[in-house]
Amino acid sequence: MWWGGRGQSFNIAPQKEEPEMGSVQENRMPEPRSRQPSSCLASRCLPGEQILAWAPGVRKGLEPELSGTLICTNFRVTFQPCGWQWNQTLVHGYTVLYLLTSVSGLSRVQLLRPGSLHKFIPEEILIHGRDFRLLRVGFEAGGLEPQAFQVTMAIVQARAQSNQAQQYSGITLSKAGQGSGSRKPPIPLMETAEDWETERKKQAARGWRVSTVNERFDVATSLPRYFWVPNRILDSEVRRAFGHFHQGRGPRLSWHHPGGSDLLRCGGFYTASDPNKEDIRAVELLLQAGHSDVVLVDTMDELPSLADVQLAHLRLRALCLPDSSVAEDKWLSALEGTRWLDYVRACLRKASDISVLVTSRVRSVILQERGDRDLNGLLSSLVQLLSAPEARTLFGFQSLVQREWVAAGHPFLTRLGGTGASEEAPVFLLFLDCVWQLLQQFPADFEFSEFFLLALHDSVRVPDTLTFLRNTPWERGKQSGQLNSYTQVYTPGYSQPPAGNSFNLQLSVWDWDLRYSNAQILQFQNPGYDPEHCPDSWLPRPQPSFMVPGPPSSVWLFSRGALTPLNQLCPWRDSPSLLAVSSRWLPRPAISSESLADQEWGLPSHWGACPLPPGLLLPGYLGPQIRLWRRCYLRGRPEVQMGLSAPTISGLQDELSHLQELLRKWTPRISPEDHSKKRDPHTILNPTEIAGILKGRAEGDLG
Amino acid sequence: MSNAFAALQEMMSCQNREIHTNEKEVTEKEVTLHLLPGEQLLCEASTVLKYVQEDSCQHGVYGRLVCTDFKIAFLGDDESALDNDETQFKNKVIGENDITLHCVDQIYGVFDEKKKTLFGQLKKYPEKLIIHCKDLRVFQFCLRYTKEEEVKRIVSGIIHHTQAPKLLKRLFLFSYATAAQNNTVTDPKNHTVMFDTLKDWCWELERTKGNMKYKAVSVNEGYKVCERLPAYFVVPTPLPEENVQRFQGHGIPIWCWSCHNGSALLKMSALPKEQDDGILQIQKSFLDGIYKTIHRPPYEIVKTEDLSSNFLSLQEIQTAYSKFKQLFLIGFPSPPPYCGSDHTATLLFSPSSAYQLPSDNSTEFWDTDIKWFSLLESSSWLDIIRRCLKKAIEITECMEAQNMNVLLLEENASDLCCLISSLVQLMMDPHCRTRIGFQSLIQKEWVMGGHCFLDRCNHLRQNDKEEVPVFLLFLDCVWQLVHQHPPAFEFTETYLTVLSDSLYIPIFSTFFFNSPHQKDTNMGREGQDTQSKPLNLLTVWDWSVQFEPKAQTLLKNPLYVEKPKLDKGQRKGMRFKHQRQLSLPLTQSKSSPKRGFFREETDHLIKNLLGKRISKLINSSDELQDNFREFYDSWHSKSTDYHGLLLPHIEGPELKVWAQRYLRWIPEAQILGGGQVATLSKLLEMMEEVQSLQEKIDERHHSQQAPQAEAPCLLRNSARLSSLFPFALLQRHSSKPVLPTSGWKALGDEDDLAKREDEFVDLGDV
Repeated sequence: MWWGGRGQSFNIAPQKEEPEMGSVQENRMPEPRSRQPSSCLASRCLPGEQILAWAPGVRKGLEPELSGTLICTNFRVTFQPCGWQWNQTLVHGYTVLYLLTSVSGLSRVQLLRPGSLHKFIPEEILIHGRDFRLLRVGFEAGGLEPQAFQVTMAIVQARAQSNQAQQYSGITLSKAGQGSGSRKPPIPLMETAEDWETERKKQAARGWRVSTVNERFDVATSLPRYFWVPNRILDSEVRRAFGHFHQGRGPRLSWHHPGGSDLLRCGGFYTASDPNKEDIRAVELLLQAGHSDVVLVDTMDELPSLADVQLAHLRLRALCLPDSSVAEDKWLSALEGTRWLDYVRACLRKASDISVLVTSRVRSVILQERGDRDLNGLLSSLVQLLSAPEARTLFGFQSLVQREWVAAGHPFLTRLGGTGASEEAPVFLLFLDCVWQLLQQFPADFEFSEFFLLALHDSVRVPDTLTFLRNTPWERGKQSGQLNSYTQVYTPGYSQPPAGNSFNLQLSVWDWDLRYSNAQILQFQNPGYDPEHCPDSWLPRPQPSFMVPGPPSSVWLFSRGALTPLNQLCPWRDSPSLLAVSSRWLPRPAISSESLADQEWGLPSHWGACPLPPGLLLPGYLGPQIRLWRRCYLRGRPEVQMGLSAPTISGLQDELSHLQELLRKWTPRISPEDHSKKRDPHTILNPTEIAGILKGRAEGDLG
Repeated sequence: MSNAFAALQEMMSCQNREIHTNEKEVTEKEVTLHLLPGEQLLCEASTVLKYVQEDSCQHGVYGRLVCTDFKIAFLGDDESALDNDETQFKNKVIGENDITLHCVDQIYGVFDEKKKTLFGQLKKYPEKLIIHCKDLRVFQFCLRYTKEEEVKRIVSGIIHHTQAPKLLKRLFLFSYATAAQNNTVTDPKNHTVMFDTLKDWCWELERTKGNMKYKAVSVNEGYKVCERLPAYFVVPTPLPEENVQRFQGHGIPIWCWSCHNGSALLKMSALPKEQDDGILQIQKSFLDGIYKTIHRPPYEIVKTEDLSSNFLSLQEIQTAYSKFKQLFLIGFPSPPPYCGSDHTATLLFSPSSAYQLPSDNSTEFWDTDIKWFSLLESSSWLDIIRRCLKKAIEITECMEAQNMNVLLLEENASDLCCLISSLVQLMMDPHCRTRIGFQSLIQKEWVMGGHCFLDRCNHLRQNDKEEVPVFLLFLDCVWQLVHQHPPAFEFTETYLTVLSDSLYIPIFSTFFFNSPHQKDTNMGREGQDTQSKPLNLLTVWDWSVQFEPKAQTLLKNPLYVEKPKLDKGQRKGMRFKHQRQLSLPLTQSKSSPKRGFFREETDHLIKNLLGKRISKLINSSDELQDNFREFYDSWHSKSTDYHGLLLPHIEGPELKVWAQRYLRWIPEAQILGGGQVATLSKLLEMMEEVQSLQEKIDERHHSQQAPQAEAPCLLRNSARLSSLFPFALLQRHSSKPVLPTSGWKALGDEDDLAKREDEFVDLGDV
């Protein structure tokens, strides 16, 4: 409930928690007026964290105003309300220094820069987070006390230093999980072969097996230790083939459609390699994976580049700052100018196209992106969300992110700006926005709520678990000490974690109770979720491509909304690499002479028509249908903040369970004294409880 | 495509059946033309092909195109296919393929692949007819297979009956009322207060506790004084009745509504502009007298809001809407290949040159369109909505926080006056957020307030310049409020949408007169037709004329909870000082010092009324902006009491497009199984469960049963509704192969696009 952002996003009144700890905390918590931060405060620090400055203050901008202490440490700025519950949670939504983008003293609003070391009296400080949150703290005594000045200066200086992003590498794991021993992680981390095997069985991918060829990360450090390859292919062949892909990221299974088709992902072909016949055969076997028809998708085609994503995100952030100078009547074109929504739309559209290919057309699709670590993950996750109802559950979504992003080696640290600005691009945040759009469009199809997405959004920079703070599974594993038995792996430039053994190494971002209270975690559930809403008659049909060979193997390239036949899968036989000569591949081909059953698609006639499977979601991506995620991006705007905190449908749900309980209690007998318990019918559906039920949905039609 | 082809063949075979021209002899299989009482068939054409877009592939339906004196109707064969639960939300008067003559916006003809607007006498007849409707439907009819004679008759018939200027007496309203005289057994009361009797006004005065300071007068009975004003209205009590007659009702403050704190909303139509100094003097002293009466206690300080200057002009509204609607008037893609050997390319263009649709293909339009937001913004429709809402909040602030009376001033007090005063009442008076209250509000402010519906909707086609969608603007403003605060309203957005559609149905008298005087004189009440008994005209508030009870449940917000009544009276607004009101800064201190500047205030008012020059200074004063900001911010920082004051958000990101109204006919905008409906059905389910449990508990205690809410059955049993529900009639989700992404283009499409651009036709050429 720090940062306010949480309080408002989750609509949990902070007062509720206060009584229950009251007296117990009183003696342990720092008195707001005490002149020293108590030792208790210090004990809450992360390992290596030091308190630089602190000052008593009042959090403003949100009801109710909370008094507490603004603390600046070498890792983060945090506001700690008086008498706040500390025990069960490590830190309530803290943020890193790194997040600050502007700091202003309010006596005369001014932007504070490290250079501006003038004398001033900070009455109020506004801190805008990089994650769109706003912390607004008014200092006691109008900022006349020296602490206010000190903490402000500390924040300003720390912000200046945070540009050198060495913070993350220094941060070690939190001690939160200490003592909890070896418990099972809430979400399979996909770090063991068993996890992969379980997941494979769940997807009923019979033609596939778990390969252990990368167990020592010697095929690729960015790949997970285990992945799925076709049954019939030996590990030696896998190793042989993977060498011919960019950074060794060869084709692996992402998702198996019960209808028989597969979704694969791989990196670009390694142009400089000179494969022999055997190698080419292995590569082709891997790509084809037993299917007669294979569709190759150039992921980058029609999607924004990493630089585009970064630029759009920066623009969006500038636009959503409260002091952005955009006039109200120019807001829409300014929003359009960021192009962020346009990129969201492009992703949704491509994902929707691919999911139709995979499910309705039952074709195997290979996503190919040069690096295979960014948009491939985005597309493959989106396709699964659209096509597989299981992925839309809370558990399913978290394991999806774990598998397609974390384990698949999305360079989170780099992309979120942790290693310097050069390759920063918030692809994952773009993905979360896409998911939010789906949530808006299909409010009854997802088990998780917008609040869950917000929590995930806010967690990407929180350094208490390694989930989002490492670039590769190898680094993550190394940090958590898993690789002790594999010391032969060369580890350049990395120092061993200090005494890391005492930490619970299985801790991940999915351990939500680290940062969120139970009440908040309850709000992760979407009360409007209606699994029966979509018939779960997910009929696995016979696998046509395995049983029916069909016409001779055909390979198609999917690009710009149309399919083009390809002569071969690999670029080496008589031409150079695919991605090197993309110009040869990508021009719009003339209408092929064959009679097309599906003209719009350029589908070959024998592919025929298939009905849409019941669980498939087809998102809308027209201009008016793509919206701005207001609860996330506009959090920093005080005037908009208020309207965003709406009660939820869960009020009604509580009412329901309460009534049911009441009824159960009364069923055996009718006793007159129960009259006292009877509720006035008028209060049952009182407007405040259901106030925001529709409002949550009423997200509107435009950003 | 192949499916579409099969469907066409099937239809062709249907076509082999004999087609009867006389509807009475039509075989049962044929779709009959349903005529309303008094409706007459004017002309028709057979073998017309109507383009239907379905699941992003199009096909044609053969049938008859018919024009009556009420509507244009297409009678196709596939009506039976509509027999699923979606069609339960069916308008009983207007069918899916019916266009009332007043609903026709533009008619285009396609000649040799070029599209032109059709009007007047035609030398050549088009091979294709495109009709844009005012409710934003787009129809395309191919006339290539129709007999030439029939083409001539139907095209000129349609053009004549929709576009030629009409006499009021020739409105279908009258023939309908005459013919239906005997069988209209509707409940005339319907609980909506019509404000056509003195009693209604007295009731309203009492409800708002305005009767202490204001009185209802009958000085205009029989429209003796003025034809603009209703027969009865309310003025400040001390105002002498002869003042009303002085300038035919101009220049007198007319009461709209009283706030719980005693301040009132008044309106005044400006005095006629005069050059002559003598007359000006007379006007000045007259206004002086008026002002003295309404300024002295017990009346609050008056603040004048001049809506004729420094606010919106009607011209702006007109321009903005015509740009805005073009964003949604999207035609169908080019006709299916079997339609003929020549590939017809239709060209769409917008009459306003500011924005042109780049191609004929809706899907292409949406796909290539990455400029949605800037197009939307350049129409400035949303900005106009924002300005209206902002003005209404400003006035609310004056009344609520500063305890001032607000006097709205407009030339005739019948356009923006109606809009602003209704918005203010909607925000301040929870009674107006019930369905009955809302209908009474429209009746009071718009119908009796003399809004010229006939001219503003251009029902008679007499003057295009007068056509300004002021009422539609009002509905869109209301929609913003409904959208932002759903639980505060008893009606739904669907209600607003069907209300906006009802503007064009000429069987209801509500929206087809310029003033109550015009209505009464034309109904025979005024002694012109003394021998015949007065016509009994329907009002739009009788929703049972249009919808079955089942469909009507969709008009009612299931989440709306009535305020528990403490006493039997309906005095909600005054009994409870809700928290918002209490929390507002005390205002008495602010307003009282101003009383010292009596003279100055008077001068202001008079200058305002006569010269309208100074209002700028008043309106844009810094103090006012600050008050507004403070009021607005402090309201939004508290939790909302849905039975109290209600303010909308007006920041840039908060104003939305009324998607239900504007996107409902665009198949690409459909999200199957998604949209608000998905949650709504879940909600309703839960609410029903809560209710039934509640009842069970009540039963156990032998107490009376809670009133059972009608189960919205339309939403039940239907597996997956589309986001366009309940207007998704165009799109039947079939299980046939669906290409979801209409964005998939045939190969080599780019060239096509380029070609088409060359063929672009400009309106100037026509």
